[in-house]
Amino acid sequence: MDRTNKTIALIIKLIFWALLIAFFVWAFANNMFSKIWEQPDTFLRLLGEHITIVLLSGAAAVLLAVPLGIFVTRPKFRKSEWLIVGIANLGQTIPSLAVLALAMGFLGIGISAAVVALFVYSLLPILQNTIAGLDSVDDNMIDAAKGMGLTNTQILWKIELPNALTSIIAGVRTALVINIGTAALAYLIGAGGLGVWIFTGIRLFDNAFLMSGAVPVTLLAIVIDYLFKWLQFALVPKGLRLARKAQNS
Amino acid sequence: MIHFNDVTKIYNSNVKAIENMNFTVEEGELVIMLGPSGCGKTTLLRMVNQLESITKGDIMLNGKSVWHSNKIEMRRNIGYVIQSNGLFPNMNIEDNAMIVPNLLGWDRKKMRDRFNMLMELVGLNPDEYRKRYPHELSGGQQQRVGVARALAADPPVMLMDEPFGALDPIIRTHLQEEFLQIQKELKKTILFVSHDIDEAVKMADKIALLKGGKMMQYAEPARMLNKPANSFVAEFVGQDRVLKSMSLYTVRDLANALTLKPVIESPDSQNINENLSLRVAISKILNQEADQLIVENDNGTRKGSITLDLIEQFLHREIKESV
Repeated sequence: MDRTNKTIALIIKLIFWALLIAFFVWAFANNMFSKIWEQPDTFLRLLGEHITIVLLSGAAAVLLAVPLGIFVTRPKFRKSEWLIVGIANLGQTIPSLAVLALAMGFLGIGISAAVVALFVYSLLPILQNTIAGLDSVDDNMIDAAKGMGLTNTQILWKIELPNALTSIIAGVRTALVINIGTAALAYLIGAGGLGVWIFTGIRLFDNAFLMSGAVPVTLLAIVIDYLFKWLQFALVPKGLRLARKAQNS
Repeated sequence: MIHFNDVTKIYNSNVKAIENMNFTVEEGELVIMLGPSGCGKTTLLRMVNQLESITKGDIMLNGKSVWHSNKIEMRRNIGYVIQSNGLFPNMNIEDNAMIVPNLLGWDRKKMRDRFNMLMELVGLNPDEYRKRYPHELSGGQQQRVGVARALAADPPVMLMDEPFGALDPIIRTHLQEEFLQIQKELKKTILFVSHDIDEAVKMADKIALLKGGKMMQYAEPARMLNKPANSFVAEFVGQDRVLKSMSLYTVRDLANALTLKPVIESPDSQNINENLSLRVAISKILNQEADQLIVENDNGTRKGSITLDLIEQFLHREIKESV
């Protein structure tokens, strides 16, 4: 059973890689990425704008959502959880395009509106994963820590946060990867980014513009995804990795 | 050392979890709180280090009221061991064991020495385990580290909440015996929660038997077994309480109390060391055909022999005496 599963997984992987390679061969053969070589300066500028929007909004979301997640999981403020998660949910349920439009309404055209919109959009996954991570910390462990005389702040920093870190980083990872895709829409409110080429491509039926914009966006998402996988490996204490492994086996 | 003074705990203004509890744990004593689940034993334990609040009354710790102590400071002076999962998976064994000394700001050298000493004490090789993580250890090993951690800052008082409850019987027996050895050496004042009468009889200096938040009996194990205060105690300690009480006496106790019978050589008679319990002695007699055991001291000198009659006589005497 296990072996057939593995074989199926391997075949699917091989098909996937074959398709990917075929796509790139086709794209290069048809000069689909020509815009990148023809206008390297514009490409780098757009890429820079794209990354700036994603990172600024992501960083701001982490700075707000993680402390907020810590706040609502404190026993004293537990009752505020539904309200705060509800508000963050609202930000997520409104279509991303509408959030962008709303932000433009308040902040006008430009990069700041895009950053604010994506910031609102990233809050929920980070907040939810922070709460889930902190909730998953074993009560016995916290009890033992309390009984040995750790203060609440020490329990948070030494016990709760390290044990919730895997989940928190996963939340940030999800938020950023979604953001990279959504940031392509930032063009619509005049904030630039690789969306400029994608939308130009759509308007002009020019696949070279479309591909030169869209493929780097995809690659960026994959790179960020792997970067965070590595970050998770580097930051999460080794003991927790072993614990996870022990649980799965 | 630990003095419970009319301690009462009331939940939701009418549910009484603990009612007017009055007793004292003397310095260097191991007291086991025993009782069916929901009897309030864990609540009472957790009131000592203020993990549970006290509704009425007070607990005096070394003459100081826990009510009026600084919670954090007081807890650092109390060793705390819980049933399971108490170790922090994100820290290695050394960091886990040394967490309280670390909070107290000990220097690195002192912590390392203390860690080495404690690990030897609980029977683990310090260098082998120092950098390992809780999940790499077996349940028994984890609990040894748990005990080492509680002893780390050398607290005079320890609270233990069913510390060996989650282990399998063989490991549990092993750890109980090792812990008794450690306690013999360190003489801590220990309040210990258990639901296992055999564990209590084996380990406790005194047993506090609770039911529904009330103290049923507070006495030495032998006294509780031989002279239960009421029918609940009698039922809880079990119909075989006389058999249980035999593990509390050694062959030497009998030899000191009564005159041993002369040794009669016979091919199938067996020897018994005087340090072994009467429980072992009686099962040896019941197991083999011979009706006597030859008592020897550690040097192999024969002191005489014991028979079933003699043990019976001794037990009658003890039961009468403890009345």
